[in-house]
Amino acid sequence: MIDEKLYEEFRDIGRDIFLTGLTSSHGGNMSVRVGDKIIIKRRGAQFGRLKPTDFVKTRFQGKDSGIVRASTELIVHRAIYEKTSALAIIHAHPRTAITLSLSRDEIIPIDNEGSYFFRKIPVVTVELASGSTELAEAVSEALRGYKIVMQRGHGCFAVGQTLEEAYHWVSALEEVCDIILEASLLGEEMIEYRKHSESYEKW
Amino acid sequence: MAGWNGKILTIDLTNQTHEICPLDMEIARQFIGGRGLGVRLLWDLVGPDVEPLSPENALIFTTGPITGSGSQTSNRFNVSSKSPLTGTILHANSGGWWGMQFKRTGYDALIVRGKAKAPVIIEITAQGVEIKDADQLWGTGVFETTQALGQDRNNRNVLCIGPAGENLVRIASIMNDKERALARGGPGAVMGSKMLKAIVVEGDQKNKPADQDLFKFMLYETGKLLKASPLTSQALPEFGTAVVMNVINEIGALPTRNFQQSQFDQAEKISGEEITDTILVKNQACWACPISCTRITKTKSDKQGEGPEYESAWAFGAQCGIDDLDTITEANFLCNDMGLDTISMGNTIGCAMELTEKGLMEAELDFGQADKLLDLIHDTAHRRGIGAEMAEGSYRMAEKFGAPELSMSVKKLEMPAYDPRGMQGQGLVFATGNRGACHEEGNMLGPEVLALPRLIDRFATQGKAGIVSVHQDSAAVIDSLIYCKFANLAVAEEFFARALSAVTGEHFTADDLMMVGERIWTLERLFNIREGFTKADDTLPDRMLSEPVPDGPSEGCTVKLAPMLEEYYAFRGWDENGVPRSEKLKELSLEFAIEAEDD
Repeated sequence: MIDEKLYEEFRDIGRDIFLTGLTSSHGGNMSVRVGDKIIIKRRGAQFGRLKPTDFVKTRFQGKDSGIVRASTELIVHRAIYEKTSALAIIHAHPRTAITLSLSRDEIIPIDNEGSYFFRKIPVVTVELASGSTELAEAVSEALRGYKIVMQRGHGCFAVGQTLEEAYHWVSALEEVCDIILEASLLGEEMIEYRKHSESYEKW
Repeated sequence: MAGWNGKILTIDLTNQTHEICPLDMEIARQFIGGRGLGVRLLWDLVGPDVEPLSPENALIFTTGPITGSGSQTSNRFNVSSKSPLTGTILHANSGGWWGMQFKRTGYDALIVRGKAKAPVIIEITAQGVEIKDADQLWGTGVFETTQALGQDRNNRNVLCIGPAGENLVRIASIMNDKERALARGGPGAVMGSKMLKAIVVEGDQKNKPADQDLFKFMLYETGKLLKASPLTSQALPEFGTAVVMNVINEIGALPTRNFQQSQFDQAEKISGEEITDTILVKNQACWACPISCTRITKTKSDKQGEGPEYESAWAFGAQCGIDDLDTITEANFLCNDMGLDTISMGNTIGCAMELTEKGLMEAELDFGQADKLLDLIHDTAHRRGIGAEMAEGSYRMAEKFGAPELSMSVKKLEMPAYDPRGMQGQGLVFATGNRGACHEEGNMLGPEVLALPRLIDRFATQGKAGIVSVHQDSAAVIDSLIYCKFANLAVAEEFFARALSAVTGEHFTADDLMMVGERIWTLERLFNIREGFTKADDTLPDRMLSEPVPDGPSEGCTVKLAPMLEEYYAFRGWDENGVPRSEKLKELSLEFAIEAEDD
């Protein structure tokens, strides 16, 4: 069902996501697209302790019995694969990013690397937190133009050609948000060092 | 709408007439320009009953909305046709100045049909379109023709064929700006079949972006990333594309002696480092390009020109077991002057060397024998002696000598400088290539070797189909905007989408572009299916599938094509025979192709 190399990538990245505090023990999910199927973490599996049996292979389009065990967010993953060219998706709950999403409609990095990677991370608002059609629609639409998007008060969805790439965006997002938070706590006026940074909001 | 000129020029060489038609903007939005616009126009113009070298075939030159805008690498243009080498869709694109200059004449595309009674040139200027007699130029090389027609860097630009195209050599290229090439699949032969020696362009219309603020922002951000990437700011300017020679050799994926081995013990002597240390005069850039990867080189015998690129250095080097960089470079110059595809030429010579080695062909031709290269190129361009066989390409040549399996080609297009046994994904790229074995239709060098966007296991197969498909779609859309793929080493589709939005004033997202890419890829596939190509053509030379690499880092490997191909068809929404399903065609707004199938 899942070959050894792909399992090892899931396992290692899952462990890193948990150990770096990017999600709680059972929160979040991740998947990859293989042919016309999706391999997704099963519902309730621990991110930091993934076993080869913790994965479900389900159809990319249409329903099958895989939904019985798949992550609650399968509907969102399917929508993303349908609407974008993503080959891997990670949904995590990075705390500082969630905190910032409570008070802003977009997150604009102030650090150099975050500016380089993102310029802007959109924040979408939906009423239902998990597994809703509304969430699937909003997130998949945003990801047509961005590689990572925040759902206000819930978490992020990141896409890539590989799990590693998606993980990179999740990790970098949290670093961006930590720096914004810490700079705001410091309360000092920022010295702008990035030419054209005023245009980031148009990204 | 800004970005497109909104006009297509059609020239009928049989009747010596021309007409100007509006560009259908719905087609422009769906296929953008360049390669996409090329296949869309070709779909309507050239059916399966048309022979590639007949007057009925069309030779379609296209630009994209980005062309001439001043965005980094916005110099490129495309040619589309039916290939005389493969019988598949032919698309090829080139840099330099000609594309930008053609855009300035006020057209998005030029369609050439028919056949002139005697050699002609076409001249397109602000004063209009002229078809002129070219008797005196027929038979001359590309360099002489380009100079005679008044090539003037940014002001007047020449595109032409050499003797190879005139003699309908199936691996003949079209050359522009003296030494830039539209090479693969034999476009030069199509041009020669129409008795068309050259197209000269001189325009005065600028491609002015609709959203100047966004355009300037994108120029700045793109420039920043091009400078930050060691590939685009250091490796390519300092060493040219041959910077990857040692890298590919070290991993055991450098095809050697007609792909009998995957490492060349003399690779360093033909590498980018060696070129820089010994023959480089200076590097040079195409119009609006900050990368400057072109090599201006000079050999010991004082011959100076452009090249060799990685693929050319490999084709005349490792593929033929030759380590004499001076001769390799002069072979490259000569191919440019004769109008020949260096990859197919070198690959075909390597094939002839193996045919000789195995006693199937009678010729004094051994691997490692550099002194024959220049004569063989001359003979191929003029169809003389053994060159007459080589002029047909490696497959037809090997078939004639009873060993088609020794042609290292897919759909009769010679494989480029990657041994897919050491790069499984590249094997799938070659096998499924719409124009045959091609590294420009979704090169897996990025993910399998250079870690772009991330390093993946080059020997793995599961999940490769998706990555290959995404790279194929991405390449199709980059070829349609048109950007240089080297810009894509530093910036991705999210940049291209915003630049396109700035130039046209319409909003495009990265995934809007990826869908365009998939649409183009699928229509090319349908074109090939209409020509009679099937799943059986999605394969590799038997050597790649059943002869393990004898030694080195890829030792013991063959290409595990079957499982990747199955996954690939499923990923793309095609049936088990590789035919796109009607639901997929509807999703991609390709309903007109369903109607054609029903007919």
